Amino acid sequence: MKKIYLKLRKTVTPTVIVICGVLILLSLFAANLFFFEFGSDDSGYAITPVLIILLLSIIGIVLCLWLRRRIVRNDPVMGRFVGERMSLGPVGTNKSQRKFGFMTIRWLIMLISFFGLIYGVKWLGQGFGNIEIPIFACPINQDQLIDSSCYTLSHLNSLVGMSWSEIGIFFGSLLLSIVVLGRFICGFLCPMGLLQDLTHETRQGLKIEGLSLNEKLYQRLKPIKWMMLLLFLGLGFVGGNFCNICPAITVSPALAGFKVSLFLSGFFMIVVIIGSFFKRRFFCNICPLGYLIGLGHRISLFRIKKDCQACTECGACYEACPMGIKTIYTEREKSDVTTADCIMCGECIDKCPENKALAMSFGGVKFYSASRKTFMSGHKKTERKLKRFIRKRDKNESDL
Amino acid sequence: MSLIYNKKTNQENNHESNTKPPTTMEERQRQRFVDKATKVSAKYLRRLEELNGAPETMQPFFKVLKDIYVDMKNVEKPADTKIVGTYCVMVPDELIYAVGAQPVKLCSGSYTAFAIGDDLVPRDACPLIKAVMGFQAMEVMPIYDDCALMVVPITCDCKKKMVGMLKERVPTYSLHVPTAKSDDTDMEQYVQELYQLIPELEKVTGQTISYQSLAKSIDQMGFAQYQMSKFNTYKKHVPALIKGTHAMALMNAFSYMPVEQWSQQLHLLNQELARRKKDKHYVSKDKQPRIMVTGSPIIFPNIKIPLLIEETGGILVGDETCMGERSLYDPTVVVDQSFDGLMRSLANRYTRPCTCPTFVDNSQRIYRIKQMIADHQVQGVVYHVLRGCLVYDFEYQTLEDELGKLGVPVIRVESDYNEEDIEQLRIRIEAFIELIKLKDLALRPKKPEIAG
Ligand code: SF4
Ligand code: SF4
Ligand code: SF4
Ligand code: SF4
Repeated sequence: MKKIYLKLRKTVTPTVIVICGVLILLSLFAANLFFFEFGSDDSGYAITPVLIILLLSIIGIVLCLWLRRRIVRNDPVMGRFVGERMSLGPVGTNKSQRKFGFMTIRWLIMLISFFGLIYGVKWLGQGFGNIEIPIFACPINQDQLIDSSCYTLSHLNSLVGMSWSEIGIFFGSLLLSIVVLGRFICGFLCPMGLLQDLTHETRQGLKIEGLSLNEKLYQRLKPIKWMMLLLFLGLGFVGGNFCNICPAITVSPALAGFKVSLFLSGFFMIVVIIGSFFKRRFFCNICPLGYLIGLGHRISLFRIKKDCQACTECGACYEACPMGIKTIYTEREKSDVTTADCIMCGECIDKCPENKALAMSFGGVKFYSASRKTFMSGHKKTERKLKRFIRKRDKNESDL
Repeated sequence: MSLIYNKKTNQENNHESNTKPPTTMEERQRQRFVDKATKVSAKYLRRLEELNGAPETMQPFFKVLKDIYVDMKNVEKPADTKIVGTYCVMVPDELIYAVGAQPVKLCSGSYTAFAIGDDLVPRDACPLIKAVMGFQAMEVMPIYDDCALMVVPITCDCKKKMVGMLKERVPTYSLHVPTAKSDDTDMEQYVQELYQLIPELEKVTGQTISYQSLAKSIDQMGFAQYQMSKFNTYKKHVPALIKGTHAMALMNAFSYMPVEQWSQQLHLLNQELARRKKDKHYVSKDKQPRIMVTGSPIIFPNIKIPLLIEETGGILVGDETCMGERSLYDPTVVVDQSFDGLMRSLANRYTRPCTCPTFVDNSQRIYRIKQMIADHQVQGVVYHVLRGCLVYDFEYQTLEDELGKLGVPVIRVESDYNEEDIEQLRIRIEAFIELIKLKDLALRPKKPEIAG
């Protein structure tokens, strides 16, 4: 294990740096590339590139599965389980899992915000040209409807040419979203987040094994995250801009019906879809905007609270956390376990079996706490069945 | 990781060579052993039943204990189901059910078997091991003799050495439990261990594990834990609705019952407790000292400590022992629906929250105990140490310090698998309970007292 880790360390970091460097160069020259304009001409539908990307991603996923199957089959220990582990079909269910609850609400909000941000912005945009929301008003096309601080952040050099009031609005609305929402945006509002959760759910439905990262691999992601942030904020000053490689561009403008050019972004999007299929919220782990918002987590109102005594260190929250935040389960002192990485998705609370061990709060008010009763509520159905069975048995006995 | 496959035949050979020339000496010795063992078990069972306040629906649990220890029967199961013996709390029953076998927890508390085992293992070994080896040597208990495979987690030194001795008699598989939990790789290693355990279990029954069977057994165990968590909420009630000794007996019975049957019975018991709550039918008085027991395993028939606590006027409200609440408290949390996800959740559930002191860093046990003290409004803690059980003894000091800060008195009682120390134990426990009563009377909070 140690050896592999060392090998990883030796190879991964330079590779990452090289890849990032290549991306920087590419994005610098992206505008000059021939492919860059693909899809942005007048022919065809705006949705075509998205469909192409989806198709390519599916091919990629199938390829990955096939490859892994080959590898696993030859493993002395795991080869025996190749059928169970690599199965594509739904082969049974774990019935006792709770179906409805806080997560249902989260999905609803995510769906609403997905449509709201992509289509709602298109319709309502004209009236609120001054507001800057941090995500997905991607004003990448000429029909700029609503401003996005994400756009300004990736074009920081353009601040120079802005009027003071514009700058004020930009900083003001950015600060406001950091304080009031924080990374709640990521867990509940970001369409890119929804997209990744959808691929994750697809995998869950198909019962395909994912990639479970451990803390060391999460550590490996850190330099990438920082590099992304650097690219995000810095590319504007050296002539390129992050939008040229941002995978999100293939989603919102295209779905909203705008024709956009996507060369590198499209390629990146394929990587993101494949990645998030195997690793939940893969892109969020390296998303520069999310991380930037997260860096201001100390002043945001949404928080994750922990009752350290109630916690049994069962690690369920850590297993469930799509961001691999380990402190949430190891913390034994602080009652506030919010970190810059936390996307406020609430998965940890959903999976925590200890009463009140974890809770999400807004401005000090806990509105969602872990509880064993809700955690185990999936078994109520079995209990009802058992009650019916016992009643019937007793009746039969008394009849005799 | 290693398993001796051909031991089954070996065992049969042993059997033959033992029984073929039936020396009357041996026969008589075995008969004497059985007589004595059943007598002791019957006595403790009687004391258990005589301890007033046992709910009606406890009877089936008592019956299971009687079947196993007094009538020397096997576990009630469909005829062709194979038995897989387990020790400690780290062997996932889910896997065993998933291949269609019946898990039986073989940690033993028998005084008579202990006396036999005393000659087989070093004097300073823990009595639990001696009792197990005693039963193994006498070959009178069907739950030991019909075992198709024993799965022993390598926890403490005694368990480790026990594997070696068991291997000479029965097919035994040693399951390597990580010694630390702080690193992610520890847990990942346990996932691998479980994957390696599966083929061995499959060899026992000839059935292969499938996603469905594993998901089903996780559901079944989950339902048992659901009933258990309901039971726990009743246990938290003040004044108590059920005596702690009875609660421990029912947890002991879990080791010898198919899980579905057990959870069904617990469901009925829960209903009875709900009725008791409604009718204000309590088993304790307001002023009765609320005691919690923690430490080395307490296994039927060695239930003298809980019995003494409740016979001398205390009420046992919580137990943090591995034959008690710990074995079923932490649920399996499935976060990934793939087969590997299920395996990970099992590995997670059986190691990370486990408060067994064989793990290197076990500070979480202190938190758990503190939380239980708060939940159950515990007034005093009895720390049970079996003679020779070092790991628990190691943790006593920290616990004493921590509870001292809380002002909760704690007493360390050391005992062995025999009845010689009963009187001495009775005196100490009685004094401890009196002390809590006095402390309760004197309204002002005194400094923590530590008897012993
Ligand atoms: S981290 Fe980025 S991609 Fe993920 S939800 Fe947040 S803003 Fe969206
Ligand atoms: S800590 Fe909890 S809320 Fe935050 S990202 Fe992880 S699972 Fe989601
Ligand atoms: S899921 Fe809850 S009890 Fe388990 S480690 Fe996390 S906070 Fe603690
Ligand atoms: S305390 Fe730990 S090692 Fe000892 S019997 Fe219990 S589970 Fe096994």
